[in-house]
Amino acid sequence: MKLTIERSSLLKSLGHVHSVVERRNTIPILSNVLLDAADGRLSLTATDLDLAIVEATEAHGIEPGATTVPAHTLYDIVRKLPDGAEVSLSLDDNQRLTIEAGRSSFKLACLPRDDFPSMTDGDLPHNFALPAVELKRLIDKTRFAISTEETRYYLNGIYLHVAQGADGPVLRAVATDGHRLAQADTVVPEGAAEMPGVIVPRKTVGEIRKLIDEFEGDVEVALSDTKIRFGFGQAVVTSKLIDGTFPDYSRVIPKGNEKELSLDCRAFANAVDRVSTISTDKSRAVKLSLGDDSITLSVTSPENGTATEELAAAYQAEAMDIGFNSRYLLDILGQVEGDTVAARLASPDAPTVVTDEADQAALYVLMPMRV
Amino acid sequence: MDAPSPSRPTIRRLGRTTVDRIAAGEVVERPANALKELVENALDAGAAHIDVTLEAGGKRLLAVEDDGCGMDAEALALAVERHATSKIDDDHDLTDIRTLGFRGEALPSIGAVARLALTSRVPGSDCAFALTVEGGAVGAVKPAARAAGTRVEVRDLFFATPARLKFLRTDRAETQACVDGVKRLAMAHPGVAFTVRDGARLVFQAARRLETGEAALRARLAAVLGRQFTDNALDIVAERDGVRLGGLAGLPTYHRGNAQQQYLFVNGRPVKDRLLTGAVRAAYQDFLARDRHPVLALFLDLPAGEVDVNVHPAKAEVRFRDAGRVRGLIVSALRHALTAAGHRAADDTADRAVAAFARTPGAGSGAWTAAARPSAAQMGAAHAFQAPLPAAGQAPLPAAAGPGLGEAGAPTPYQPAHDLGGPSWPVGDPGADRGGEAAGAEGLGGAGAYGSLDPGLDAPSARAEAPGADDAALVRHPLGAARAQIHETYIVAQSGEGLVLVDQHAAHERLVYERMKRALAEGGVARQMLLLPEVVELDDGAGVAALVDRAAELAGFGLVVEPFGDGAVVVREVPALLGDTDVAGLVRTLADELVDLDEALALKDRLFHVCATMACHGSVRAGRRLTVAEMNALLREMEATPHSGQCNHGRPTYVSLDLDQIERLFSRR
Repeated sequence: MKLTIERSSLLKSLGHVHSVVERRNTIPILSNVLLDAADGRLSLTATDLDLAIVEATEAHGIEPGATTVPAHTLYDIVRKLPDGAEVSLSLDDNQRLTIEAGRSSFKLACLPRDDFPSMTDGDLPHNFALPAVELKRLIDKTRFAISTEETRYYLNGIYLHVAQGADGPVLRAVATDGHRLAQADTVVPEGAAEMPGVIVPRKTVGEIRKLIDEFEGDVEVALSDTKIRFGFGQAVVTSKLIDGTFPDYSRVIPKGNEKELSLDCRAFANAVDRVSTISTDKSRAVKLSLGDDSITLSVTSPENGTATEELAAAYQAEAMDIGFNSRYLLDILGQVEGDTVAARLASPDAPTVVTDEADQAALYVLMPMRV
Repeated sequence: MDAPSPSRPTIRRLGRTTVDRIAAGEVVERPANALKELVENALDAGAAHIDVTLEAGGKRLLAVEDDGCGMDAEALALAVERHATSKIDDDHDLTDIRTLGFRGEALPSIGAVARLALTSRVPGSDCAFALTVEGGAVGAVKPAARAAGTRVEVRDLFFATPARLKFLRTDRAETQACVDGVKRLAMAHPGVAFTVRDGARLVFQAARRLETGEAALRARLAAVLGRQFTDNALDIVAERDGVRLGGLAGLPTYHRGNAQQQYLFVNGRPVKDRLLTGAVRAAYQDFLARDRHPVLALFLDLPAGEVDVNVHPAKAEVRFRDAGRVRGLIVSALRHALTAAGHRAADDTADRAVAAFARTPGAGSGAWTAAARPSAAQMGAAHAFQAPLPAAGQAPLPAAAGPGLGEAGAPTPYQPAHDLGGPSWPVGDPGADRGGEAAGAEGLGGAGAYGSLDPGLDAPSARAEAPGADDAALVRHPLGAARAQIHETYIVAQSGEGLVLVDQHAAHERLVYERMKRALAEGGVARQMLLLPEVVELDDGAGVAALVDRAAELAGFGLVVEPFGDGAVVVREVPALLGDTDVAGLVRTLADELVDLDEALALKDRLFHVCATMACHGSVRAGRRLTVAEMNALLREMEATPHSGQCNHGRPTYVSLDLDQIERLFSRR
């Protein structure tokens, strides 16, 4: 194997794939990235057995061949090479990869290409194209609510499925950690109507989210019951899906909440952030006292003292006190795009629904705290 | 249908001997059980001296000799009959048992499996009588000679049941079990002298204590468990609704690797009860690491009707009518005593420190210093088997010394031993009378010496502090006045009685932790309601019942559970502090703990663990330079904060060396 490649394009591709590789591995080959040169292109593959990413990039002077080298080491080397350098890679007979750029030269120990686990796509019967901006939106609006508690593995991802919305079917993303829930809808792309509901793992969500930022156009999505593939032009992410049943979330979204509150989203978020400064413990409870067209936020810390802030709000229902985890509130308010946020409440011990005036296709449910 | 099997078993009535041997198997499992029964008989007979002799771990010979009330010829013959006893009668029911024995099974059971010889004389009578039983065959009562009292000899135990004999452990192990059994009984009966001989060798001796009440108890516990224990133990005195708790509980810094040295006596009867294990774990929680155990001996006296002792053949277990109240009493009494102890750490830390100094090689005098002062471990071992020193030399006892636990009948109005509101300092400590102030100001001259250190000698890792104007007042504090910080980690302070060395990080961490726990207790645990209530399947109904029973208590710590069909609970709210946590795992652990220990420890553990982690990050680290004002503030806060004598894992936060110990180090004494 032999090839020459521009430093910046190698760095960009490595940057996409190397984060899949875990820092610590019990299987040595999983620390490596597969380099495969053929047909005027270098393709790089990294995997953790649950998730694989393949990215192809232009190269020249190619003598076909393939090998694997430690991903983080290669990434660090290329990162430190001078900008604009031409990097040449060549594999010698002793299974060592020589990397040369200008006067720098590195020799890396390799592991044979045949040992590298290949992630077979299998049959992916459902195919559709989703605009990158829509995929980005679905992820951003729900990702924060993914559970990190591994005993409830079926909550460790985003549930992507076709659901019945108010005006017909929608493609919906839902995530919850049992304390709050986030849901975002988009139109069902052609070819997606028959897809099964799938749970996309948190790590995969993170990797594709990184790729979206550098990509415009439609993301090619293909999936089966067990695997999903996202195609971003030259980069392709294939991932196993979480084998579990996502809870029937629709039951926990309250329908009959009648106390309507709406207020300026930024002012609300800033006020929550301000009053929660005084909270010293990890629970960070903030109490909302709803009165006639006003809302008073208060936090009491046994150690520090108290904080209160009053805000103007549209609220006509009967007065009520309700407590929330301020971090959960800020997570939700951070995703609201419009100037006005609306909430529908029922009682201090029932879930509250939060909606975004500017994006009616997103919805958040937050369970209160007892304070 | 199958034809009846030709060898169909037939039901027969068993012979008397077989019946007796089966029954004996329940009461007498090993020599220690037989010995326990015999010693209990001697105690019930009102003996003042009990002498035990063992041979070959009790297998060849078990002899118990007492000077109790004895038996006449008629009683002797009846004593070896099954279900014959002098301790209860048919008019009394089993709910009012005041003696250790009551079943009338011990002697016949032992007689069924061994060669038993009884010799007894009633005081004032002119003749003793003897009787032998061999493998269940009762001989005739014959006149004999002996002093007043009874001697019971058991030879060749289990000769009639060779199978049981094969299951016994080594002689050494059986001897140890026998001695342990006698020690347990000895703890509860300070008014009785005990000796145990293994062959001719004296292995345990406890002199008869003629004092009454707590003094006798303390002296007896010192004889059995060692002076180290009694010197590092707190008096426990509590009473609630007719249930009285006394005894001694070790300081958290005086801990052991297992829970074997935790003794509970119910109405003078040694029992093993999971209730004690759970209550002790709960009371010492967050003073000790999970794998360390305190040492304690607790004596519970309650009306005979409140406890059922007839639940176990060997009477090792009891059942309380109101177990929750007894547990509550034990937990609160221990907690109060520990709180009242304030920052007191076990003074064996000082002994250890001195021993460490004395052992320092290269000091030139190492050999003879060590000889002059045996190590703490040697001293502890030496004390364990010696009669205690006169009680006068011991730590001052609280004013409200209760009645002797052997005499549960004598009513005494309950007085709290300590002011439970906050930490209390031993008033009138011997050191304070020794002209401590003068010593602090001039006698030691230490302050001046430190203050005049040449700045050039001031090593980067140690700083000396000049005494301030109010120094004399500071020195009078229990932890004294800060004099220096060494290695930016330890504070050296001068107190009226000597020198105090404080680990600044451990001490401050504990202070922050205590503050957080207080905030948690005052502010309550904020509860996050669950959007998706978590259903937790439990394998057994007992776990569900236990969780539901204690639901109110769990809710106080932020966990709201409700029963959910058969064998499951649903969790509706969790402590917000724990965030996104493994609720199912937590609930299962709690259910197991409630079933096994009757205490929900895991929840508090998790909450306190969050506090402890935050405390660790929020406290002064080792390596940070402190000014003298900061150091003094830390010392004053330690004095004012309960439980500041140990870190969260039972390690001491400070070591205090008094002048005696320092002078001994320099062979001035």
